[in-house]
Amino acid sequence: MYNLYQFFLRYYLLLLFLSLETFCVYLIYQNKHYNQVAYMNMANEASGKVYSLYQGVSDYFYLRNYNDSLVKENAYLRAQLLDSKYICKIDSGHISDSTAKNVQRYTYITARVIRNSVNEASNLIFLDRGRLQGVQKQMGVINANGIVGQVVSVTDNYSAAMSVLSKEFKVSARFKKNDFFGNLHWDGINSTTASLEDIPKHVPVKIGDTLVTSGFSQLFPRNIMIGTVKSLKMEADKNFLEITVNLSTNFGSLGYVYVVNDMKKVEIQSLDSLVK
Amino acid sequence: MISQIPINLFRLVLLLLAQILIFSNVNYSSFINPYVFPLFILLLPFETPRWLLMLVGFSSGLLLDYFLGSIGMHAAACLLIGYLRPFLINIITPKGTEFEISPNIFAQGTTWFIVYLGITMFIYLTLYFFVEAATFLNFFFMLLKIFLSVLCSVFFMLIFLFLFSSKKKKRFA
Repeated sequence: MYNLYQFFLRYYLLLLFLSLETFCVYLIYQNKHYNQVAYMNMANEASGKVYSLYQGVSDYFYLRNYNDSLVKENAYLRAQLLDSKYICKIDSGHISDSTAKNVQRYTYITARVIRNSVNEASNLIFLDRGRLQGVQKQMGVINANGIVGQVVSVTDNYSAAMSVLSKEFKVSARFKKNDFFGNLHWDGINSTTASLEDIPKHVPVKIGDTLVTSGFSQLFPRNIMIGTVKSLKMEADKNFLEITVNLSTNFGSLGYVYVVNDMKKVEIQSLDSLVK
Repeated sequence: MISQIPINLFRLVLLLLAQILIFSNVNYSSFINPYVFPLFILLLPFETPRWLLMLVGFSSGLLLDYFLGSIGMHAAACLLIGYLRPFLINIITPKGTEFEISPNIFAQGTTWFIVYLGITMFIYLTLYFFVEAATFLNFFFMLLKIFLSVLCSVFFMLIFLFLFSSKKKKRFA
């Protein structure tokens, strides 16, 4: 017993150090699995308050930029209106079907970015909307320019989303011109580019081709902009192209974003479980 | 010793706010990621018992994690430098030096501080960046990132030290 006591007396510092480090490793490991584990409330109310207070001040310096991007988006949306399209179809024997209702599938929750980073290995974006405003985990986040990320953690009034610039983030991207699709993920270095995988060599890809979301997941609607092809490499010993993509979203200056609420999500997921 | 608590708490709040609102908020590039927060642990009084250094390091690291959303990573790194600090001070301080109550740039000198901060920040950021990336891929990118971030962190820490250190020499002991 005396020896044991002597041992503790001698090594208690090392033991304390090792036990605390082990606890850290446990915490880190627990929070690694962004999707499976409800990891500690990353978007916590206290830090949310601090950040939104700070953002409230710094927003004033970016008002002009926000206005510009909103005006641009308004113009784009205006162009989508039926009124601003030239109707090519000539109504001959065409029955206009007024009974078929357009069923709404997506709604959008506007949110302000209160914290953002681009230079970490997994970048998180904090938003000032939470459970009470209808934000849930696993919802997609987009802005006027393209995709932004995915909600990973929610509190009553705030939420945290991992941005495309996270090593855990993957999204299926589709070429707008020919519908071939592959997996897009961030390469971890440059905040303006990502790499696209699983595109077979026979697919005709040119620099500048546009990539949009495939709409296969319940994260994003179809045809949301992702980016354009920046460069491509073809290696003899591989079956797939190595494509670098210029992301259309400027992650350095996110002001306002939309959280995508897919109203058919539960139905699609129940279909998934039926098939399995 | 008790009289040191308010000044250290104040320093904690100041460095925490500086870290989360300025240094982790302004994104310069993916190569430069300065961290000034560890300065809090490095400036604790020399006489702080080692178990307390570790506990304070660990809990202040968790506090930073809470705001940055990187649960556990900064805690691990802060704990490590809290543990290593006494060894390091022993190694780099010449024998027979008179100590102030806590490290002071006007007492220890700029060279001592550059060595002190440089070594601890190198350990800190090496651990943090590799844990964050959870891989040894992009090894040279990581080395460059660590090197530049250490330089940048030490630079900002020195500015902080020159701004907030008291020149008046207090003799205790």
